[in-house]
Amino acid sequence: MRLISSPSTLARWVRAALALGGLALLTGCDLNFWTMKGHQSTIDVDGPVAKAQLHVFYVTCWVTLVIFLIVGSVLAYAILKFRARTDADEHAEPPEQGHGNPLIELGLIGASVLALVIIAIPTIEAIGYTYDVPAEDKATAFEVNATAYQWWFKFEYPSEQIAGAGPLVAANELVIPVGRAVHINLRAMDVIHSFWVPKLAGKVDMIPNRGNFLWLKAETPGYYWGQCAEYCGDSHAVMRFRVIALGPRDFNEWVNRQTAPAREVAKVAAADQPKAQFASYRSDWKRNEKGWSPEFELNPFQGWQAQQEPDANHENPALIAQGRALFQSKTCFSCHVIRGHMVGGSGAYPDLTHVGARSTIAAGLLENTPEQLARWISHPDQVKPGNKMYATGYIPNNIKLTPDDVAALVAYLRSLK
Amino acid sequence: MDATVKTHFIGKEDKAPAKPSFVLWRPSAKTGLMSWLTTVDHKKIGFLYGSFALFFFLVGGVEALLIRLQLMHPNNTLLTAQQYNTLFTMHGTTMIFLAVMPLGAAFFNFIMPLQIGARDVAFPRLNAFSLWTFVAGAIILNIGWFLPDGAPDAGWFGYAPLTSKLYNPTHATDFWILGLQLLGVASIAAALNFIVTIINLRAPGMTMMRLPVFTWMTLITSFLIILSFPAITIALVEVMFDRQFGTNFFEVSNGGMPILWQHLFWIFGHPEVYILILPAMGIVSEILPTFSRKPLFGYPIVVFSGASIGFLGFTVWSHHMFTTGMGTVATAAFSLATMAIAVPTGVKIFNWIGTLWGGHLKMRTPMMFALGFIWMFMIGGFSGVMHAAAPADAQQQDSYFVIAHFHYVLIGGSIFALLAGIHYWFPLVIGRQVSDFWGKLSFWVIFVGFNVTFFPMHFLGLNGMPRRTFTYDGNMGWNTANYIATIGALILGVGIGLYFAVMIYTFFKGEKANRDHWDGRTLEWSLPNPPPEYNYRVIPTIHARDAYWYEKHHREEIAQENAVHAQEDEAHGGIHMPYQSIYPLVASCGALLGGFGACYHTLVVALAGGLVLLSGIYLWAMEGAEGYHIHLDAEGRIVEDPHAKH
Repeated sequence: MRLISSPSTLARWVRAALALGGLALLTGCDLNFWTMKGHQSTIDVDGPVAKAQLHVFYVTCWVTLVIFLIVGSVLAYAILKFRARTDADEHAEPPEQGHGNPLIELGLIGASVLALVIIAIPTIEAIGYTYDVPAEDKATAFEVNATAYQWWFKFEYPSEQIAGAGPLVAANELVIPVGRAVHINLRAMDVIHSFWVPKLAGKVDMIPNRGNFLWLKAETPGYYWGQCAEYCGDSHAVMRFRVIALGPRDFNEWVNRQTAPAREVAKVAAADQPKAQFASYRSDWKRNEKGWSPEFELNPFQGWQAQQEPDANHENPALIAQGRALFQSKTCFSCHVIRGHMVGGSGAYPDLTHVGARSTIAAGLLENTPEQLARWISHPDQVKPGNKMYATGYIPNNIKLTPDDVAALVAYLRSLK
Repeated sequence: MDATVKTHFIGKEDKAPAKPSFVLWRPSAKTGLMSWLTTVDHKKIGFLYGSFALFFFLVGGVEALLIRLQLMHPNNTLLTAQQYNTLFTMHGTTMIFLAVMPLGAAFFNFIMPLQIGARDVAFPRLNAFSLWTFVAGAIILNIGWFLPDGAPDAGWFGYAPLTSKLYNPTHATDFWILGLQLLGVASIAAALNFIVTIINLRAPGMTMMRLPVFTWMTLITSFLIILSFPAITIALVEVMFDRQFGTNFFEVSNGGMPILWQHLFWIFGHPEVYILILPAMGIVSEILPTFSRKPLFGYPIVVFSGASIGFLGFTVWSHHMFTTGMGTVATAAFSLATMAIAVPTGVKIFNWIGTLWGGHLKMRTPMMFALGFIWMFMIGGFSGVMHAAAPADAQQQDSYFVIAHFHYVLIGGSIFALLAGIHYWFPLVIGRQVSDFWGKLSFWVIFVGFNVTFFPMHFLGLNGMPRRTFTYDGNMGWNTANYIATIGALILGVGIGLYFAVMIYTFFKGEKANRDHWDGRTLEWSLPNPPPEYNYRVIPTIHARDAYWYEKHHREEIAQENAVHAQEDEAHGGIHMPYQSIYPLVASCGALLGGFGACYHTLVVALAGGLVLLSGIYLWAMEGAEGYHIHLDAEGRIVEDPHAKH
């Protein structure tokens, strides 16, 4: 008891604790807690499927809130009214030993059933609506195949066939046309994953040996956050993806760029080459350290658009050529496809043909900047625990990258717009 | 005499075994380690169940605190992904199978036989086997913490194919499989025992519709256990075969179906939810009438709604699978069935309020926890209705909204009621009274800590935070709620710590409690505290639903009746008690050894364990079910040492 010797000491301790707690709260405080307008909000949504689901949520919310207020008031009243206040109360003659009232019971059962019917009707309606593309949208629906792997997503566009290379393939960023229903076939190749873009639609699981699908529609062009929603092993938490919705013209342009083979960088005279490009990368990344910049956070859609155009002023063709050679000599090409540059790779690994045009890398985890790219390829195991590229690529093939190798590879990958 | 009353006597005068051989030696230690290891007394077994459960409750709590500390800040590095995944797997598995279920079993064991006026459960040695097999399962489940393979990390639900050898090559998953398998054996054995006990060993006059509600819920829970555990037993055998013998139940490359695991798991897993909550509802249905000083409102409806919750519990398993693409018809059917469960659940809440209405509410600690239970369970129930609406669930499933929901049901529901039950029966079980001030203080700290932890998680879930994630970025709008939740978890931890500190203090230093400490209504309160090993000197005769309340108001009638029955009892040889036995423990040790053998895929060890198990059961059968008699004098002292005559 010496520590808290008097009430005033106690009060001082309490005040200090409150001040500390309050300060910590204020510094970390964001209104998002109440408004729920985060990137993965299920309340602030932008598509008919998510809206239908939100509507059902609101119905359940209001009905249960009303019931809670009624039942809660009765309960609170009973507790306050019938509370024994004094010792005499407690030792008074026991109250009437009543055993119940069947009519009240029946009435309450009837009322509960009625309340549930109010919830059940919109529920049944929405189950039908959210299940598959509505008949009127069927003709214009856009088809995509999404396949999940530990721990990334592959997106295939069966309607965009490339001569001799099958359908257009992308990884971790799904680009869709605005205003059109998108029907997504969901597959998984290893364990169970789940496809969830909260602002566009609730999740549907991606289960091996099972042909699931979902549909969604984006109503405005934009940049949407998605994440795997079924526990799938070590890096489940960092298995993320993005959906980018584009207007018809932008979308066609994007398809044209993506269906083209990987970009070749024009040779320029040695004198014109920028020097010391991507010279110094941070190497002291902490585990789990954030991988995005405040500018990107401010307008990610713009960030994505900016990635589409090559930045010729910062390209060093010699370095890029060196990176391209390294991509082969370090056996990267045996897994990753870079269509048009080298023969190799397979569909079971992220396609890197246009990796430079993506806004994120490592399955939506890091912003696609030279620095983050360097962080990722230098130590994939530290960025994504249990990482397969590290476990089945780096280790068996004894891949060691010097800082110069990393710089060259980054330059090459960044040029793949 | 009441028409429903029939006197009966258990056993006949047994002869001492003619030639007590060494192998069939019967231990008779009444104190010391041996008395606990060989006990068949339902009260000692219940106490051990409770002690193990509370130990694992604290272990699971520490796991939860580590999880919350990791999530306190975005991009935190307190834990690695592997450690985090192990912790959430073990937190769930521990809390469900090693804390809440055995704590329920502790109450079933200790209280239920007392409530029906029995001297023990129907199969006392099987009861000991359940206990020790539960301990064996708990050891296997947790042994990974001390071994290089680590503890299980595939989630408490162990979705195939993540549990396959390809994706989880270490023995950690085998510990999980075999641990759960043994816990299932323990639960099924215990449940059968309780069912037989309730059906056969009720005191004369204790008709089914006079059973205390807690005993009713014990019965229903036991039926849920024996009907639901076989499903997970099969599923675990299948995944074990996949891992050890290369079968193809869930092996995708050979046409196996991962979705099969989910159906098998949840057809167990959903009744399991009611296995966790029905005992809690039973406890609350005992506490509210006692502290309102009036009978339970609508007893038949409370019992019937408990039974219909149990029954409907088997029809809704796929609401855990709304996102697995079941199609519109199945989704709608499971959606409606799930909503239907809200009706009997709501009925219980109405009846509890009806019980309070017009009563004299004594606001003691057990009552505080019981009222806290009603409030928190209501909130958990309402978010449950939100999940039942499948389209809304598509957004909520596997998000923090679900975490909020089931912690409101499992902490605000089950744990609050179990903590209430510990307070309520503590004077009877231990014979000491808990300080009301410290009890209430711990209640308020727990209540505040719990709400501060889990209420913000509703917002987190609706704001898109998925569960089972070891890290999150700071730009998602999840920082504040996570920070608050962690502070709440620390408060909750302090509250739980305070609660147990008070309990441990009272256990050793508390004031002696009076007999019938709370002015109870059910039979167990007629006993001295702590109850003697034979429970009832005279098997009571029951005349009304709240048997002891009736007795207190008809003292003379009951006293006369008991005097007559005591004489009859004595004429039949006195109070019959079963012998202690070492063989349940031997059999469980065999299960433990065999379990380890199976974990390490070592056939020899597995077979050796099986052999020990079978020999234990064989010798247990051979030693026979004999017992001895206790004779009491007028003051209730044992007058003759039962073993002296041998």
